[in-house]
Amino acid sequence: MNALDYLQFVLAPQVVNGLALGVAVVLVALGLTIIFGMLDVINMSHGEFYAIGAYAALALGAAGINFWFLLVLVPILMVPLGMAAERLLIRPVFDSKDRHVTTLLVTFGLALVVEDLLKVVFGPNTQRPPTPIPGATELAGIIVPNYRLFLIVVGAAIVSAVAYVVYRTRLGAMVRAAAFDRNMAASLGVPVALVYAGTFAFGVALAGLAGVLLAPIYSVFPTMGRDFILLAFTVVIVGGMGSIWGAVVAGLLLTQVQALASLVISPVWTDPIVFGTMVAFLVFRPQGLFGRLGHA
Amino acid sequence: MLTISGLHSHYGLSHVIQGIDLAAAPGEVIGIFGRNGVGKTTLLKTIAGWVKPTEGAITLSGQSLNGLAPDRICLSGVGLVPEDRRIFPGLTVEENLQLGLLQVRGRAAKAERAAIDQIYDRFPRLGERRRQLGTTLSGGEQQMLAMARVLVGEPRLVLVDEPSEGLAPMIVAEVFAIVRELRERGCIVLLVEQNVHEALSVTDRFVVIERGRIVLSGDAEDAEDREKLLAALAV
Repeated sequence: MNALDYLQFVLAPQVVNGLALGVAVVLVALGLTIIFGMLDVINMSHGEFYAIGAYAALALGAAGINFWFLLVLVPILMVPLGMAAERLLIRPVFDSKDRHVTTLLVTFGLALVVEDLLKVVFGPNTQRPPTPIPGATELAGIIVPNYRLFLIVVGAAIVSAVAYVVYRTRLGAMVRAAAFDRNMAASLGVPVALVYAGTFAFGVALAGLAGVLLAPIYSVFPTMGRDFILLAFTVVIVGGMGSIWGAVVAGLLLTQVQALASLVISPVWTDPIVFGTMVAFLVFRPQGLFGRLGHA
Repeated sequence: MLTISGLHSHYGLSHVIQGIDLAAAPGEVIGIFGRNGVGKTTLLKTIAGWVKPTEGAITLSGQSLNGLAPDRICLSGVGLVPEDRRIFPGLTVEENLQLGLLQVRGRAAKAERAAIDQIYDRFPRLGERRRQLGTTLSGGEQQMLAMARVLVGEPRLVLVDEPSEGLAPMIVAEVFAIVRELRERGCIVLLVEQNVHEALSVTDRFVVIERGRIVLSGDAEDAEDREKLLAALAV
């Protein structure tokens, strides 16, 4: 195989696959990093909210609801779920001295409960909704599945929209102000309790949206949240906990590293490379590539 | 009208405010003096809702502020310029000002823009730096921004804590000019200040706090009261 063929038939498809996975990881990591940046809460149940979104899409899709409508409906349905989780589980322990540990344990407990509930309700088997956009497109000689192209475009649009809201609107300024200094923000009229609940619910809705979008590619099974969230956590840590742009850059970089490394070494070793990067960041650059929400 | 009666508040186990009574009419500037750690800042924080009162009542124009969250207190017409300015690090000058607009709900976008433009006319340096992060401003400019953030709303009571701390004399004069402006607007101003001589130039009345209680009060224009004040503070 000459260099051009290698580029066209091996390297380029791998880059595109890595890009699609990167966008998927960024979508899951986005809600996680916003919740961390805003509330200083490491939401261990974020993966399960992603799974709930995927199962909701599966169940509602089976009931005959159109996939395109689900893209709007599921995130909306996730909002009250997020509000309830924040109100019942986060807020009661939010002001405790060891907030980080307590919220981490509470959300980890929630994750275990949700995972088992999904097993009980939907069974332990893997299910896969039909691909909403079948077929593939040839781009410069590379065959790319249409749904993955759609995912890349929609993912980029969602990240841009979220970044616009957070960094370019008054609502975003309120969120960032409350993240920096909740007392001062409140004294200027920012309804901090509502902003916190809304941010948590927004993060959960984003996880649900990621679930709907990724279900046709990665299938739906009760532990799907746990499996995917490890990569999302890595992205959040490497990107800088709380940074939207950090999550984007780290998500795309790490998944490219994973995709390209698997061309030259056994795929078994790609996970240690990615998680080793996370450990290296925690030791040598704990703030990640970018700072916290609002600093980015 | 601001009425504070029998106010007590705690910081953990520490009983900081131990029974304060104070009343102020619209357009009145009250200087709050005393040594460090006597409870001046805690008094302002209690009024602003950062510290919950354990006893007593705070009312503004007949509306009780007791137990309200700080954002509800803000909406009741209370503005706060805190001791360390508390400019939000990741927000631009304009964004900091936009948050100040939240005090008045339902204002039309045009009116909001006009309010911010008025601030830029009043403080041209802020206008020039509107897209800059607030924390990249000089200390004096940050103090102007902290005060402008309150001015852009429609406060009836403004709590100002140590506004001249660490600032050059020219900036201090500007800060007190803003306090005068607030008075002319009919705001009640509670001014905590270490720079007593300068502060007396803008205050109508003063109180001295010691160990969480008012131990002296007087008229800022009255020579005898001023002498008592300076003697009490040994300045």
